[in-house]
Amino acid sequence: MIRGAKARPWTGHGLARERWHGYLFIAPMLVFLAAVVIAPLGHAFWTSLHRIRGLNASFVGLRNYARVLEEDAFWHALQVSLSFTSISVALHVLLGLGLALALNEIRMARTALRILFLTPWMVAPAIGATIWLWLLEPQFGVVNYLLGQAGLIAAPVAWLGEPRTAFAAVTMVEVWRGVPFVMLLMLAGLQTVPLEQYEAASIDGANARQRFRYVTMPNLRYLLIVASTLDIINVVRHYDIIGVMTAGGPAGATEVLPALLYNTAFRANRFGEAAAIGVLLLLMVLSFSVVYLRVTRIARPDPVT
Amino acid sequence: MTCNVKSLARALCLVAIAAPALAQQPITLQWQTANLTEAQYEPIWKQTIAAFEAANPNIRIQPILVARRDHWTKFVAAAQAKQAPCIVSVDLTTAAYDGYLRPLDDLWAKEPADFRAAWSEDMLASARWKGKLYGLPNWGGVYAEIYNREMVEKAGLDASSPPKNWSEYLAWSKKLTGPDHWATAVLGGKTDTTTRVLLTWIYGNGGEPFNADMTESTFAKNARSLEAIKFYLGLFSQEKIASPSPTTTNYLEQTVLFAQGKIATMRNAYWAVAKVVGDNPKMDGKMFAAPLPAQIPNAPTLATVSAHSISSSCPHPEAAWSFIKFDMDKKWALERALKANWMPLRRDLGNEPEIKADPMLAQFVQLGANAKSYPLPHPAWADIAANDIVDAVQKALLEPARLEEIFRELDVKLTKKLKDI
Repeated sequence: MIRGAKARPWTGHGLARERWHGYLFIAPMLVFLAAVVIAPLGHAFWTSLHRIRGLNASFVGLRNYARVLEEDAFWHALQVSLSFTSISVALHVLLGLGLALALNEIRMARTALRILFLTPWMVAPAIGATIWLWLLEPQFGVVNYLLGQAGLIAAPVAWLGEPRTAFAAVTMVEVWRGVPFVMLLMLAGLQTVPLEQYEAASIDGANARQRFRYVTMPNLRYLLIVASTLDIINVVRHYDIIGVMTAGGPAGATEVLPALLYNTAFRANRFGEAAAIGVLLLLMVLSFSVVYLRVTRIARPDPVT
Repeated sequence: MTCNVKSLARALCLVAIAAPALAQQPITLQWQTANLTEAQYEPIWKQTIAAFEAANPNIRIQPILVARRDHWTKFVAAAQAKQAPCIVSVDLTTAAYDGYLRPLDDLWAKEPADFRAAWSEDMLASARWKGKLYGLPNWGGVYAEIYNREMVEKAGLDASSPPKNWSEYLAWSKKLTGPDHWATAVLGGKTDTTTRVLLTWIYGNGGEPFNADMTESTFAKNARSLEAIKFYLGLFSQEKIASPSPTTTNYLEQTVLFAQGKIATMRNAYWAVAKVVGDNPKMDGKMFAAPLPAQIPNAPTLATVSAHSISSSCPHPEAAWSFIKFDMDKKWALERALKANWMPLRRDLGNEPEIKADPMLAQFVQLGANAKSYPLPHPAWADIAANDIVDAVQKALLEPARLEEIFRELDVKLTKKLKDI
């Protein structure tokens, strides 16, 4: 300190000025977010309060919400969305964890196998869905051909033509696409488990199942919560695969909420109601995000000191 | 001072030279129709654009290539942003109701009488909404029954005497069905082609899907409509003479099945013939068309009408109109008819020698003389045709025992929708 100079007191006024500097630093990002997230969200909400037919709009208040909630189509789509999301996420986590455990043990061709298993995640969902659309085609598809050659089916199966098989098919494709994401997270988590814990467990006589139960799982608990919550948020708003493969059919069997939103906006030409569905879907995703933030705050492992 | 005057004079000269060049800067018009991506049409529209640009050096045409299933979505997204392509072919009534299209009456009125006489009043009526003209009908598709001659003859049937009514059609169909092939395909995929084919069966039985002023749905209420629906969907669920997976079968799948000899007959428009030959060149010359088997005398078929319109956000409507007129010229209409199989809608083309020389095209033209135009004139039609009716067809195919109930529910739903505009 310079002799004679007085140390500036750390006053409330100074703090406020520091904060303003902080706001100035993040201002460009705030402006960007306002332009690409907040303004479109505000416009979507504003749209949801209007009856829109093309370029003609009239204010209707919350009537679009009432109308959407009155319609069976919304509740049906919600039910399909919840089934699709819960089954997909459960399979993503189970298979992702299984694959990560297997890949963590493998020593031969480890990198090649990791890249191979990541491939579905690298392919754009719409392109992956188009490939599966043709693989599952009843007359000329490879799946029916192989199953027929193996004697597992007597006649071609219309995979996307029956409600149950269509739902199973789009779920299977979603699982194929989503497993690598969970696998990657789990693999990263497995590599952070201290080897000493496994050694100690082995010395104590723990077998492989017990090591998994008492060492691996507690170490992965936080990542499992993160992965499954992020996956729920990702899958519940997913449209690409269903849009390409079934467009919500047959007979609404695969019409998840995003598909209903798309069909209401672009096929039924009812943008106000579609925006209302979008806002309701956003509330759903936000509620999952809140759960995610709370759970991760509780489950976050203590930092190593 | 002298130097300044010289500089000013030079600048003025430059402006004088550059001004006409700037004024002649070509304007660009976007053109979007669902058909531009179809292989059979591509060489023709490229020639049309080249010829138009050569004749109109101040106008450039930019084709917007978009897959058929995304055509409407892309148009709506652009129209909502008031950036829609200038020249479009879309579901006319819905687009006009939504304010996406510009009325063409002022441009139409300026045309000479002989040009206007090329379109019948009936044809123009299909492009009007609330008394205003929103499009100029360009091409169409008349629906007929198209047969694979080889499969018909192999089944021991006489190709010169195709079925005229449903019982004959059923008898043929049973003979045309084998262990790995079927007589036909029932369409239930999620596009309005499903609705088009369903309507042909309803018309063929003297039924009507709606009342005259389109305020009430009568799919189940009209006994003849319901009978037709039961017969048609029964070809798959009861008679087992239709290919599997009807709920995913649409124009694309139907024509592929036909081209591969998996089905012997398809109910389709003339353009499907070109599509089949494109898929399988060996089918060239091995098809024949016949009137739709029907239960009433002189039953109408269905004719789609595709019209060129100008979007309401187009800044150069006169230039767009000049391209529309150019594309309507006899030369291009004949090219489209003969090479791409788009049926001409100008009434002065039916007697052209080139059309008469093609027996199949001539037959389609003849069938078109007794046809109901499609799409139906209601703002909600795009939604009703591609969603509600298709959903009902899919449900009835999956639960045939509930067919009547499903179509009664459809009537209730559609009647509400028809009134909610």
